[in-house]
Amino acid sequence: MITRFVLFLVLIFSSSYLHAQITNEMEDESRLYAETKQINQFFRRFNGEEDEKGERYYPKDKQFRNPKLRKKYLEMLFDRSNAGISNDLKIQFVNDVLEKNDPAILDFNGANWFAEVQSTFTANGKAQLVTLFMELEKHHLGRRWVIYKVHADRFDPYFKRDTVPVGKFLHPMSHELDFMNLRKAFLNRDSVTQYVSKKFEPDHLSVFLYEVKRGGLQFKSVDQVKFHFFQIPGWYFELAEFNRPGYNTGWLISNLVKFNNEGDEALLRRYLHHEIN
Amino acid sequence: MNKHKYFYTLLVGLFISGSLLAQSADISPQRKQAIDSLALEKVKDLSKYISIIGNKTTPYSEATRVMDRAEELFAEDSEMGVSSLNRKEINYYKVRQYFERLIALNYDRVKIQWYDIHYISDLERQPDGRYVGVITIYQRFEGESDDGIKYKDTTKKDITIYVERKKTQIAGRTIEFWDVLLGDIRVTETSA
Repeated sequence: MITRFVLFLVLIFSSSYLHAQITNEMEDESRLYAETKQINQFFRRFNGEEDEKGERYYPKDKQFRNPKLRKKYLEMLFDRSNAGISNDLKIQFVNDVLEKNDPAILDFNGANWFAEVQSTFTANGKAQLVTLFMELEKHHLGRRWVIYKVHADRFDPYFKRDTVPVGKFLHPMSHELDFMNLRKAFLNRDSVTQYVSKKFEPDHLSVFLYEVKRGGLQFKSVDQVKFHFFQIPGWYFELAEFNRPGYNTGWLISNLVKFNNEGDEALLRRYLHHEIN
Repeated sequence: MNKHKYFYTLLVGLFISGSLLAQSADISPQRKQAIDSLALEKVKDLSKYISIIGNKTTPYSEATRVMDRAEELFAEDSEMGVSSLNRKEINYYKVRQYFERLIALNYDRVKIQWYDIHYISDLERQPDGRYVGVITIYQRFEGESDDGIKYKDTTKKDITIYVERKKTQIAGRTIEFWDVLLGDIRVTETSA
């Protein structure tokens, strides 16, 4: 089915392809039509909101969100080189999305999707990898992308918790002595974390802001961008860009997970944010 | 001349049909199509300018004049972010700097062509009230030196467009119109 649809796309654009070949010696343009060129195009194809040339359908158009059109598009929106996503799982996903009575639609301005931006900063001339988690936020007259979480491996050692059962502590009568034992607690900086509440959760974003503002980290480049979607009830998928020869290129579903138990979604979110290993 | 061309396009294509539409924050499908045409026209002008700037037979004085014209298409502080298949790291250039690097390329013959295909995104509203979208186009580059060294690549160019409602006075009347400016451009080498 997928191959037939790609062939259909190829045939549709074969005239411009021939034109390009003969007059400009340019390479196959049909590949570029098949490519999911923008995240915007992924949304439109997923929802069945554009034609094969990328022209937008509006609610008044007959084909707008047409289930047959959506089925064709959905089947070509997976990274086919990924054997980890079984055909059976894809079929279940597509059936769930196109559920006759309640089809699922992706919403650009909706919640439950975010970007993972892997970037390089430099600290004392050395490259440091920093992952920025970003989401869209309403602000004044429109929306903007904001950083809501950060993860940097370089911060991890500073938050490592000691696993010794008893370890070091400030005894419960320390307050009577104006906490004079704090001097000893801070003598060894490696064991400082033992004096911190169990409830403490490391916050890399605060440290990141501190480092950037004091000049300890300088931005260098964005290395890779991925998107994580939790908008389809009972499902998670990852979106990544594939720049390679062929027709299965551009922004494609690179990972797909079906939730079997309550709590799976929360667990996966924590995993993606490096909050559990 | 260029400015006039765009302005008349705007007046013809995006006529202000009444204060009701002008007050609305939403852009109707018809208006969106008119804005897309205008934005595409600016992108095509940019493509044309890049071809002229990159052409080794273009005299430097003419290239400088075209660079000035090309710069007028852009919002202030616009940058080009460039990466290749072998180097994922992005190099950032100011628009003018990018054009000057194009002139300085060490080839004796350069051929720049553009694929017919383009993709225009939806327009989203940003916090300051302006709308923003992205137009994707593809460029074919071929460079050749007299000593036989050849290089060719295909690059995808994702071009930011800013759409803003502006006002002007014509014969004592205030006319509102939509203006389009180009912004940052992400240039990626593709495997095409």
